[in-house]
This record gives sequence, structure tokens and C-alpha cells, in this order.
Amino acid sequence: MTYKLIRLIHKDLLSLIRDRAGLLMLFLMPLTLVLIMTNIQDNTFNVVRESRIPALLLNLDQDSLGCAIERELYRSQTFDLHQSLDETPLTPQTLEAAVARGEYLLGIIIPQGATHAIRKNVARYINGVFSGAPVNKEPDSVNIRVFLDPTTKSSFRRALAGAMHEYSMQLEADFLFKEITREVNKISPIPIDNIELSRSQVKITEQYAALDQDKLLPNSVQHNIPAWGIFSIFFIVVSLSGNLLKEREDGCMSRLMVMPCPFALYITSKVVVYTVLCLTLSCLMLLMGFWIFPLTGLPALMMGHSISGMLLMFLTASLAAIGYGVAIATFSTSYQQTTIFAPMSVVILAAIGGIWIPAFTMPPLMQHLTTLSPMNWGLEGLYDIFVRDGNFFSVLPEALSLTLFAILCFGVSAVYHHHKKNT
Amino acid sequence: MNQSTAIEIRDLVKIYRGSEKAAVNHLSLMIPCGEIYGFLGPNGAGKSSTLNILCGLRRQTSGTILIEGRDFREYSREIRQKIGIVPQDIALYPTLTAYENLLLFGGVYGLRRKELDKRIREQLHTFGLTSSKNKQIQYFSGGMKRRINLIAGILHHPCILFLDEPTVGIDVQSKRVILDTLKELNARGTTMVYTSHSMDEAQEICTSLAMIDEGTVIETGSPASLLEKHSECRNLEEIYLKLTGKRLRD
Repeated sequence: MTYKLIRLIHKDLLSLIRDRAGLLMLFLMPLTLVLIMTNIQDNTFNVVRESRIPALLLNLDQDSLGCAIERELYRSQTFDLHQSLDETPLTPQTLEAAVARGEYLLGIIIPQGATHAIRKNVARYINGVFSGAPVNKEPDSVNIRVFLDPTTKSSFRRALAGAMHEYSMQLEADFLFKEITREVNKISPIPIDNIELSRSQVKITEQYAALDQDKLLPNSVQHNIPAWGIFSIFFIVVSLSGNLLKEREDGCMSRLMVMPCPFALYITSKVVVYTVLCLTLSCLMLLMGFWIFPLTGLPALMMGHSISGMLLMFLTASLAAIGYGVAIATFSTSYQQTTIFAPMSVVILAAIGGIWIPAFTMPPLMQHLTTLSPMNWGLEGLYDIFVRDGNFFSVLPEALSLTLFAILCFGVSAVYHHHKKNT
Repeated sequence: MNQSTAIEIRDLVKIYRGSEKAAVNHLSLMIPCGEIYGFLGPNGAGKSSTLNILCGLRRQTSGTILIEGRDFREYSREIRQKIGIVPQDIALYPTLTAYENLLLFGGVYGLRRKELDKRIREQLHTFGLTSSKNKQIQYFSGGMKRRINLIAGILHHPCILFLDEPTVGIDVQSKRVILDTLKELNARGTTMVYTSHSMDEAQEICTSLAMIDEGTVIETGSPASLLEKHSECRNLEEIYLKLTGKRLRD
């Protein structure tokens, strides 16, 4: 039986190697995707974190508040501020039009009399407090208008709005304290110093949760290598199912089935060859993370501390992918059907499984569906290793799910193959 | 000729799922050892269905098949080792060379490398393919592919060989070498079950024939005995048309 298996493996290996175009696609597509996607995600992150956002500022106030906002915006290093368009002074209309045309991501208008309005509010409040007169509960509001490029994605818009809100709160507080001090000094016989409050009374310390004490740094590389590693493993479904269907349509499979070659042996050969292929792809993904990514300015991949856990995940994900490929080929009735269904289903499973976008950003229904995708089980297992720094035992539930999925696929395929003989 | 039975078919029925009509309808036959037994019949007569069941690719709805006295269902593994098949389609791996294809099919029959290598060389020489040994099948002509297709079925020296239209669509030279090899194999004791639409070919190589129509046997005998029985007919084709009619079949 071993000798027969060796002959079958030899055949499958040669068939795979000689299909150079298919093999190239199998390697190039995931490797290119991981490089592009990681760079894109890293860049998106850096746009908010490091790059300056091109913005227009029209300061119609030109008093304390307006100048303070202007000064803080310049100091923040977040914005590349412009106060004119082609050396022409800005107006609210030209500012809005320039942002609408996409020339600037952001346009800020500080209204005329903003400082005056705040001062009036503070004076009214102080006078009310010290004279005992009722304080107007509806102060004159200062409406700083922010125009955003309509093409900016909602996540970026929210991040920007949040940042702006934080700045304005800080400025408003600083300004109010100064004005309160000024008003109090006007009526108080004993002058008081500027009220200074520490800007960060409540400190928030961010720290990534880890299962081990040696912390791994989650970044786009740590997230993308596991995700696209799983994708590349499942992408072999396209090649495997196509290969099986071709053998069936050429009559080679039937020929082998009338020979002393059990279906299980025939499939075992595929399992061996494609497992080697999957593990090779996984190794290439890791090597890419180690050596290629740093060359493109990305951080290098940091391995977790459980090589055995990682191997277990790659191995069980490979088995699940191979089982899935065999099942697709078994149930397909034509080569065309397989070549359409296999890649489509892999992309759908990847989308559902959180490969393209993280599962937690999905709507509740989709988050439930995520747990149905074997690619998600693989991804979660690898996140345990690469991001959460888990060990062999922490990935066992995911590995077991993938193994059961593989057994189910192989079992169903074998039963259907046997059943087809009787039809 | 050894008169022990190579194949015995008892009341064989095959009804495909979704079909009301039986593809093989209570077919019974006995094929003695050492025969070249021809299955002749129009399209859809049930020849290929019978052949597929005989070689274990399909399972019958009812009936029994005994190969050398043993039930196929019980002794599947042993029987598969003894039979060979030459399918109608070129069932070869196109990106593998002739040698690699034969290495695979011979290997699956359990032939060890040294012996297998020897047999492959012999057969390639017989079929005039030695110089094309390391060429991928996809670059072979139709006749060359047919010859490799036959070699893959006989490398392990089967006791019973099933041939489904082994000479369809090839040149005269390739056809001649295939037919001569089949006769030689038969002379060495291999029983053959053979389907064809070529009456001339059947008349030349078959020692016995079964004419099949509508899934059942309508006539059996040797070509000579059939010609004697239907004396008004000059050849097998006329007997065939007399028995199956001129109605076109699907």
C-alpha cells in the first residue's frame, strides 16, 4: 500500500509542478495580497497617526479664542494648515468649495465674534454668581464649522471629528479658566492667579492584553500575516478541486478506481501533496514577514513563543482546506462549475471569517456568521499565537474544530463517491 | 482453448437513477476463459454499462457477476488485481510523460520498480514508442495516445482484459499494432471482453460475440456460427442490421 501511495504522490507532485501557471498563481496571489494589504492598512493607520492632514482654516474671529485655536492647530502637527487659496484670502464659500473638490480633507471656520461671545457668557456667569442674580442657562454658543471631504470614509471622519472635539474641549476649558480668572479679578479685591488645572487628571494607559508576560506588539504585520496565511492555505482549494475535476473528466480517476486503488488511498496522496504545498506557503508567508516586509518599511514579523502551536494551526488549517477542496470536487458536476464555485466560496469564507476586515467591526448578524467560517477558526488560532502570545494548548479548540471540519468533508465525500457507484 | 468460465453474468439489471428504462435488462452470459468476446450493439444498447459493472466502476441494480467463479462484490480487491481495462477515453495524465504514466498505472497494480521498468521498455518497444518515452502525453498524436492507453491496461499481465472501443479514431498503422498485440495477448491466455462499432474488426479478432440491444442479449455465437445461422447475410454488419434494425439510436 505504501508503494502505491508513493506512486500516486509522485504523480500528484509532477502534475502540480508541471502546471507552472497554476502554481505561480497559487504562490504569487496570496504573497502579493499580503504585501499590498499590509502596506495599505499600515498606511491608513499612519495617515491618522503620523501624516499631516491638509486643511484650510478661516479665522474670522481674530481674537483670543480664534488665535488660540489657530495656534493649537499649528502646534498639534496633525494638520497641514492653509489660510489662503493660491494667495487669495479665504471666504466661507471658497473654503467649502475647495474641500468639496477634494483639494483639502478638512476646512475649519472660526466665526466672527467667537471670543466676544465666550467672554460675554463668562462675564454673565460670574456676575450672576457673585450678585445672586439668576444665571442665563442658555449661553450664546460659538459654532465652529468643520467641512469634511465627502469622499472620506466614515471611520476616518469619526476619528477626525473625535480629534477635533478633543482639541476644542481642551481649548474651551483653557479659555474659560482664563476668562473666569479675568472676570473674578475685576470684582475681587484680592487678585487671583490664573486657574491652572493639569490637563490630564484622569490618565488612561493603553496596553494590549497578552496571555504571556513577553509582550508581542500588535501591528498590521502581526495581524495580516496570520490572516493572509490562512487565506493562502484555503486558496489551494481552487487548484485542488480543479485538479480533481480534471482527473475525473479525463477518465484518469475512473481508471484508478477500477484498479486496486481505494478511494481513500487516492485522496491520501492528494492530502500529502497539498499539505506540503500549504506548509510551504505558510513558511513563505512567515519569511515574507521576517525579511521582505522590513524592506518595504513595515515592521518585521514577531513570532509567538509557541512554534508547536503555530505548526498545529497551519497543519489543521491545511487539512480543513484540503477536505473542503475534495468536497467541492466531489459534488461538482463539471470543471467549469468548480472553477467558478471554488474561488468564489473561498473569497466569501474569507470575508465572513474576518480575513478582509476584522470580525468585531461587522454587524451582529455577520459576527455570528463569522464563527461558521473555518477560516475564522484558523485565524483565531493564529491570532492566539501571533498576537495574544498563546501556547499549544490555547489553540487546541480551534485546531480541533478544523480537524473535525476536515473529517466531515472527507467523510461526506467518501460516502457520496460510494453512493455515486450505485446510481 | 481452456473451457473454464472466466466471467459469468447472471440476470444482470442496471437502472440508472431518474431513469425508468433499464440500461441493462436481465442480461445473462457466460464467457469462457481464453476468449476474445465481443459486445456489439447500437448506441445506448447497454454495452458500456455492462462493461462498467464488470470492471467494478458501477454497481448493478440486481444480478450477479462471477469473475473466475468469485463474486465481484465479495472479492473486489483480488478481482481488481486480475483484471485490466482499456477505456474508450484516453485516460492518461496529459502533463506526465509516457513513462511516468506507465510507472503510475503499473505501480498501482503493485509492480515493483525493476520489473515495471523492464515491462515498460518492452511494451514501448512493441508499440514503437521508445523514442517518445520521455515526451508528455499532451504532445502525442491520437494514435500514440491510444497505444499508451492500451499499454497502461496490460502492463500487469491481466487474466481478463476489458476493452472499450480501443481503436476508435486512429490511423490504420496504430490500429494494426493494437489488434496484433491483442491477438498475441489472447494467444498467451488473456481473456478479453471487447466492445466496438467496427464489424470488420470484431469479425477479425473476436472468437465469440454477443449482440446486445435494449440492454439484453439478442444473439450470441462465434462469427462463423452466426454467419452460418444467418446464411442470407454476407457479413456481421448485415446480421447486426437485421437484428437491431435501421432505426437511429440516441
